[in-house]
Amino acid sequence: MAGILQYPKRWIRTTRRRTDAFFSTAGIERIGVHVQLVVLVSLVLFPIVVAAVVSTKGVGIVTSVSDLLPGSYAAENYREALVDYNFGRFMLNSLVMSVVIVVGKLAVSVLAAMAIVYYRVPYKDLVFLFILFTLMLPVPVRFVPLFQLINDLGWGNTLLAITVPYIASATTVFILRQHFLSIPSSIVENAKIDGIGPVKFMLYVLIPMSKGVLVGVSIIMFVFAWNQYLWPLIIIDSQANQVAQVGLALLEGDVQSGELAWALVMAGSMLTLLPPLLLMIVFRKPLLNTFSIQQK
Amino acid sequence: MPASDSPLGNADMSDDTRRSVLRGAATLLGAGSMTALAGCAGGGDGSGGDSQFSPIAEELTVWHAMGGENGETLNQIASDFEDETGTAVNMEFQDSYENVLTNTLAAFDSGNVSDMLQVDSLFAQQVLDTGQIRSVEEILPDDFDADAFLDNVADFFTIDGELSSMPFNNSNAIMYINRDAFEEAGLDPDDPPTTIEGVRAASEALVNQDVTEFGITWPNHVWFVEHFYSFEGETMLNNENGHSGTPTEFRTPDAVYDLYEWWKGMSDDELYTNPGIEAWGEATSLFVEERVGMLMTSTGSAGGLIADTEGVFDVDASPHPSISDTRVGPVIGGASFYVPDGLPEERYEDIGQLLAFMADPAVQVDWHKQTGYYPITESSIEELESENWFEENPMYATALEQLQAAETDNPATSRILVGPARAVQTTVQNKSVEIINSDDIASGIEAMKQQAEEELDSYYN
Amino acid sequence: MSKREVFDSRLGAALLLLPTIVVSFLFLYYPAALAVRTSFFDSTFGRSDEFIGIENYVSLATDPGYRFSLAITVLFGLLVVAGVMVFSLYVTFLIHEVDYGESVYLISAIWPYALPPAVAALVFTFIIHPTLGVLTGPIESLGFAVDWFNTGWQAFVVITVAAIWKQIGYNVIFMVAAMNNIPEALTETAELDGVSGLRRLISIYIPIMSPTLFFLVIINTIYAFFSTFAFVDLMTGGGPSSSTNILIFDLYQEGFSFFNFGMASTKSVLLFIIVGILMYIQFQLTEEYSHYGA
Repeated sequence: MAGILQYPKRWIRTTRRRTDAFFSTAGIERIGVHVQLVVLVSLVLFPIVVAAVVSTKGVGIVTSVSDLLPGSYAAENYREALVDYNFGRFMLNSLVMSVVIVVGKLAVSVLAAMAIVYYRVPYKDLVFLFILFTLMLPVPVRFVPLFQLINDLGWGNTLLAITVPYIASATTVFILRQHFLSIPSSIVENAKIDGIGPVKFMLYVLIPMSKGVLVGVSIIMFVFAWNQYLWPLIIIDSQANQVAQVGLALLEGDVQSGELAWALVMAGSMLTLLPPLLLMIVFRKPLLNTFSIQQK
Repeated sequence: MPASDSPLGNADMSDDTRRSVLRGAATLLGAGSMTALAGCAGGGDGSGGDSQFSPIAEELTVWHAMGGENGETLNQIASDFEDETGTAVNMEFQDSYENVLTNTLAAFDSGNVSDMLQVDSLFAQQVLDTGQIRSVEEILPDDFDADAFLDNVADFFTIDGELSSMPFNNSNAIMYINRDAFEEAGLDPDDPPTTIEGVRAASEALVNQDVTEFGITWPNHVWFVEHFYSFEGETMLNNENGHSGTPTEFRTPDAVYDLYEWWKGMSDDELYTNPGIEAWGEATSLFVEERVGMLMTSTGSAGGLIADTEGVFDVDASPHPSISDTRVGPVIGGASFYVPDGLPEERYEDIGQLLAFMADPAVQVDWHKQTGYYPITESSIEELESENWFEENPMYATALEQLQAAETDNPATSRILVGPARAVQTTVQNKSVEIINSDDIASGIEAMKQQAEEELDSYYN
Repeated sequence: MSKREVFDSRLGAALLLLPTIVVSFLFLYYPAALAVRTSFFDSTFGRSDEFIGIENYVSLATDPGYRFSLAITVLFGLLVVAGVMVFSLYVTFLIHEVDYGESVYLISAIWPYALPPAVAALVFTFIIHPTLGVLTGPIESLGFAVDWFNTGWQAFVVITVAAIWKQIGYNVIFMVAAMNNIPEALTETAELDGVSGLRRLISIYIPIMSPTLFFLVIINTIYAFFSTFAFVDLMTGGGPSSSTNILIFDLYQEGFSFFNFGMASTKSVLLFIIVGILMYIQFQLTEEYSHYGA
């Protein structure tokens, strides 16, 4: 039996040698890497190119690569979305919701992470698990009873409904905890020796040392909040309060009566994509720092 | 601030810290509970004394599912109404008929309901089953003539002799053809096919001569299957499609086997292309792009198609094809406006006025011209005829003629009225795709029947 | 770690944790518990709830359709997690290797993270619709028939690819961060020793990045099971032949299209248990293999 295995083994060995050789050839390696990156990244980029191009068209039916030349209706489509359909209002609602969620989550999670790391909490592991476990309870699992609960509280169709349920964040607490754990314990001890209370500790030690992470975490939370669709859809029922993600449907028009509005919908989509994308681009360094998982 | 003794610090926070944290927490909780209480108080308090529901706002609130330009037209109607009567109306777009239904059913639970809700005819039974609807006939002003509606339309929405909801945007399915393509293929655009056999023949001509890639397409929606049933004079469910009793059986008469055989054949021979489930936009796009020569879709698409094909090709409308030469009539589609029961009594007068306004010939005429949904009152039709509208715009007439030629006494022309509507709809749509892709049509149809009947059973029992 | 526990006040800790715990309890655990309770009822709008015990559970256990749904969901989960991580890891590695242009490549790779899933689904349909898709023509000229409205496995592939594509951004962010943390010296030593390219990636980088990778497996699994609803809803509707009827879509349809809240709750509970079991298995497996630094 073992005798047969020598053949695949030999094959693996030679292939390995060949791959190494391929990657080692100095000049080619560099170019090869760039070529591969361009190809792979183009695959990832392609859809947004399509979306952007369609948003510049009149009706927006694109059926072949040659249709992907930009049209001349960009200004008109965007204007129509923003002005005629009041998409600006939706985006404003999304902005308010997202900012409130980010500020709220940040405050609440910093407090919680601080408690977990710097306080002697009984059953600390259980508490942490209690918080982390909520990752397993996403909206689809609980939205019907949640809907009834929110209505019972009288919060239906209000800003409260689309912000407060999001205030507790397992990922944020997790990331902040990781970060706090990476702050040298000597600093913490010194602070305590100096007799600093928790509020001052938080304001003058933790937050200054966490600026990058806080920014990064804020970006993550903003993107998450901004892209929420399912929950605002079912809890907000007036157009004045609705958010951009749901408002996209308004641009789609009455499909059953044959309105073709692809270009308009793409224009709206590009509009909703811009804020989170811009934030990610501008703040990519803090974002990357936030995402480095510190080792325990 | 007193320094603490031990290096690890005591548990005590300094006094100010404790105070500030407590203050903060109290405010947070206080604000939270105040809002909750206020909300509860506000929610339960109706403006009337003991009305069960409270309105969402001062103004009349209408929940609808018309996006895009049709939605804009609705907004226009609202502001016209306000100009005329001084009563403000808020048209609130709810994303889809399904969402109107969800939000309404939930609103009944929570107590804050809209004044009018637009519900697709498919979901009529579910709305009625809540028992929280006041029939529109009771709300319309006394001088309003409830007989003003076209018979077929009114029939579907009349429950127990009373008009339960107000029809508004109704349509049926017709076929649109590409006249230029027809001519190029040697077909007569003035004599389009009216049976499925004819459609096949025309498709073959179009495809074999490389005029279009496929012959025909239509969105995979249960509505079209319903049309095939109704033209044949067959009901899809027993008990007159649910109108004379609880439906328990999904009917599959021989004609249906013919339908699926034809459908499968068309698909296998690439004369038909599947644009996707409920893919209205995609199907229309295929037609506009001249990838198909024929398109089956709603009459409401007439205006859009004329605009989108201008300068590209000549589009024309023709009646929906039937399975055989029997042509009983189409089913109605589209939505109507329901009004919840249990709002403060004073509101009903205003609601009634809005309803009457929306059925007013002038409004109906405008609505029809802007959207292509057909005018549903006799007087609005007469108005349009007097303007020679239909002569100048024959495509808009096709749907109406198809409707008017229908045998309205035949229960087959009443759309299915069933509780688990969405479940039956998805069953038919999904199973249809399976059937046309399988080798054994008969067992596929049998499976569809079984699943639909299971859904009926679990809802009604 | 206990060196950091410099504050003893239980009250203080309680207050700090209070908002998170209250909100978690009120808006996450409590509704979830209600959902569990509803799973034992026959509940829908317009009728009062009827207690039916474990009837929902029994009917699901004996429903071949549900078992099929479960099977394809697990397969979907595996493919999405594996696909995302392999693709992202390779792109991350390439970005790590280049000398210039990293920012541009990085942004281009992570932008899907900002895209709402519904828009992603719509754009994907534009691209690969069997008759209208932009890339459909070129793909067909390569010899593949694009027919995912009628062919089950093709539809499955399409949504798997879409789901993978959408999650690449999130993974790349984490992986780039983790790879940037690997000391430069290690890379240089490895190169000097003649360990190059893929070998370096597989034998050195991956083990060092294992805590991050472990974390990502968890996150990706949650994503695959809970956050991929939009793709199915907007592209395939669960079909054809239920080939894309993944559990999250099935349960959403049960609750929000068919209004069978009892059954939807049952499906939620089961989905939750299934994912829980998967998480547990993953924890056990990766605990063995992940290396923690000093």
